[in-house]
Amino acid sequence: MPSASLVFQSVVLGVLLGGLYALLAAGLTLYFGVMRVVMIAHSAFLILAAYLAWYAHREIGVDPLLTLFVTVPLFFAAGVVMQRLLLTRLRPATLTMMSVLLTFSVALVIEGLLGYAFSGTQRRIRLGYSSASIEFFGARIAVVKLIAFGMAALALLGLYVLMKRSRFGQALRATIQHPDAARLLGIDTDRIAGYGFGLGLATAAVGGTALSLDTTIYPSLHWHWIGPLMAIIVVGGLGSVPGAAIAAMTLGMLQSLLQLELSTTWAQTVFYVALFATLAVRPQGFFGGRLAQRF
Amino acid sequence: MASDSHSHSEPGSGPAFLLELDDVRAGYGRAALVLRGLTVRVPAGAIVCLVGPNGAGKSTVLKVASGLLVPRSGRILVDGEDLTGHGPQRMLSAGVAHVLQGHSVFREMTVAENVLLGGYTLRDKALIAERADFVRALFPVVAERWTSLAGLLSGGQQKQVEFARSLMVKPRVVLLDEPSMGLDPKATGVVFEQIVRMRDAGTAVLLVEQNARRALEAADTGCVLDLGRVHIAGPARELLADPQLGELYLGGRPARR
Repeated sequence: MPSASLVFQSVVLGVLLGGLYALLAAGLTLYFGVMRVVMIAHSAFLILAAYLAWYAHREIGVDPLLTLFVTVPLFFAAGVVMQRLLLTRLRPATLTMMSVLLTFSVALVIEGLLGYAFSGTQRRIRLGYSSASIEFFGARIAVVKLIAFGMAALALLGLYVLMKRSRFGQALRATIQHPDAARLLGIDTDRIAGYGFGLGLATAAVGGTALSLDTTIYPSLHWHWIGPLMAIIVVGGLGSVPGAAIAAMTLGMLQSLLQLELSTTWAQTVFYVALFATLAVRPQGFFGGRLAQRF
Repeated sequence: MASDSHSHSEPGSGPAFLLELDDVRAGYGRAALVLRGLTVRVPAGAIVCLVGPNGAGKSTVLKVASGLLVPRSGRILVDGEDLTGHGPQRMLSAGVAHVLQGHSVFREMTVAENVLLGGYTLRDKALIAERADFVRALFPVVAERWTSLAGLLSGGQQKQVEFARSLMVKPRVVLLDEPSMGLDPKATGVVFEQIVRMRDAGTAVLLVEQNARRALEAADTGCVLDLGRVHIAGPARELLADPQLGELYLGGRPARR
């Protein structure tokens, strides 16, 4: 049995990890909510953002956080272009299924380009504060994990305020919930869907940068991430952003606690166990997720 | 009925009809045509009711009129202006609002958010607030449940939220697709009262109803649709009194009167 202080340390790390997962999964929820698109390439974009942060740090020595000023607008634009040029060409009747194939291929292209540009070598950002940690009621917390959590919290808060308070957010939620009724109110649902997709990729820019602070990256790393992230949004209820956040927190915490007793690899299986359990017991997801019934 | 006291179409002032669908042919994808040369005219300030069997194309008429479906041929005129081929945004700004069949509230948004989104194209905050006050007075339920999630309301209440949402832009004609569908008799009564009240407030109504007898009682003009064409059109009261029509389309019960 691990000591109380070790359990406490794991709980704190679980919260930090869960917060990061919540951000990484938020984009997936948006794509599915807005357009019924299963976006396999989301994690590839995460790794791409991580590579851009690493590259900018190595070449010009800027802090990874500063790359956000470039990558967030860039990814937003890429998302709009990807939606307008690629996804709108899919037939509505088979959109969800075909989007898996289409975004799978986009993921392969990104992985290939990363391998071509940076080789398959493992990379890691070395910062002045990379090994710094602080003491929190006896638990040792790496500063980079705190920063990543802070970024996730701020980005999710921003997303929440945008969705709830802005005119665009209202139009996006209306488009998610009833596209025809939204069109009849004068909302340009195609344009809004494009921006919604861009917003999803913008979260990937923030998430990838947060990831780069504390992770060794390599071009095929995205395969490691897409499974757990997909599991999170299914458990949370497809299309529900708060649901995904709660599921991310819960599963992040469980994973962190399981690592005390099991190896890292076995702890990872918590995502798939949760996925199977959800599909068996409550296929529409545990939180919100009424949208899933329209699947 | 409230319709008895109402008169419409003053000659000489502008086009005779607010909304005109002229010889429209329309269908979905490569499937056979649903509308085959249909003509429907809605005068300002009147309730025009489309009745007819399932599959006659009633809902399709409304989709063409609001720009959701572009017709293959024929013309759509709003106040004399040819708007054929335009989408819902343009039709809305011309004064055509459309309330869809079934429940079309944004379920996970509050009643307030639903209604205010009705003014999405207005942009002027003061104007939106003023219109919101207007529809809240018109639909007391909307004011009472202002902060509730719309998906939690009963079917009849959701319908009134949809009406309120569509009236935010002060449309000149509202297209209502089966507003009484799935409602109990009491809620149906309220909905029809609201429809008459909309008309009395100056908004023309193009109404599609399964509940044909009830709808014709509220309407000024009736059109009987079959196989994508208008078979008979005339004053609603005359259609109700026609025994043959009652047999064919109004459920066989002879008109009382």
